[in-house]
Amino acid sequence: MAEIVGALGVPHTPFFPFFVERDGPDCETARYFAALRAELEALKPDVLLMFDTDHLNTFFFDNLPIFAIGVTDSFTGACDEVRATPIYTIKSHPALAAHVHGACVAAGYDPAVSQNFAVDHSVIVPLHFLTPQMQFPVIPFWISGHVPPLPSARRCYELGRAVRRAIESFPESLRVVTMGSGSISLEVWGPRLKIGFGDGVPDPDWVTRVCGLLEKGDIETLIKESTPEKFQATGNVAGELLNWIAMLGTIDAGPAKSVQPQMPNGHAYAVWS
Amino acid sequence: MSVYNVNYLLRELLRDHAFRAAMKKNPAEALKNCDITDEERKLLLAGDVGGLHRLGVNDFLMGYLPRFEICGLNPKIYGERISKEAPRAK
Repeated sequence: MAEIVGALGVPHTPFFPFFVERDGPDCETARYFAALRAELEALKPDVLLMFDTDHLNTFFFDNLPIFAIGVTDSFTGACDEVRATPIYTIKSHPALAAHVHGACVAAGYDPAVSQNFAVDHSVIVPLHFLTPQMQFPVIPFWISGHVPPLPSARRCYELGRAVRRAIESFPESLRVVTMGSGSISLEVWGPRLKIGFGDGVPDPDWVTRVCGLLEKGDIETLIKESTPEKFQATGNVAGELLNWIAMLGTIDAGPAKSVQPQMPNGHAYAVWS
Repeated sequence: MSVYNVNYLLRELLRDHAFRAAMKKNPAEALKNCDITDEERKLLLAGDVGGLHRLGVNDFLMGYLPRFEICGLNPKIYGERISKEAPRAK
């Protein structure tokens, strides 16, 4: 049977590949991703399942799902002109993805399905650093974290638990690592940006608070505090934390093995194994 | 639902390089056949991102204007204008 052997929380700032190319392997972002890459490789995954929020690239206002899963042999990205990255082709695992899709519908979560798609920086940037050879099949699972109304934190956590049950009922022996991609407090091109830049961190204290809860494994408090009002106060893309919360549901998370905040960017790097 | 059309054309700045080039060269001409209201057209051409924000245009998509330096916007000018607005409710 398939099993989840670990989980990662990652940022996906689209400028990171360019910054790392410019600043070299000793810069902070390169070091943080390198540490996570070592953790991921030690987990020896067969498949990655990434919870992610699309930035109106894969989906748009003509059809904008709350939850969606990609079921395909492979997909490409990034589709939003990420500097210093090639256009990758990434294999997937359609049998497992279809199984997760069916199990989630049976469990009452009803994700949309896409069989033909490209992904944006929110999937590609973490993979660019963690699996630059794109050697692992990746299943994208999108959660609407930007455009209100957002799904609740509780529902996303329970979705993660449903995904876990689905994976554990898949008959093939597979080591699966789940990932949550996104920021904790971040405003992108909205009123609370830092003038002269495209983004800003409205609430650094929330980043510290979330990282503290992850270190302690106090996921119940994290869920209770991750309200629509909190997301409103902490940035127009702060709902990306829902991707982390779904990831936490897949592992019934306890204390993280490591949590590394990156305060100027309002996000963190974390691992559970 | 005209705001949908504004959001759509903003996304086209990323996807359609010919449209992007046309908007950089002569935005009034490039917008001539777009199905948007007179008010939306006026706000776009003025680079009035605060006014567009108040109409409900998506902030993230508006970011393509300063990113590609269209309608007189760059990150600094955009930031000075958008920072006067109230954050949108979730």
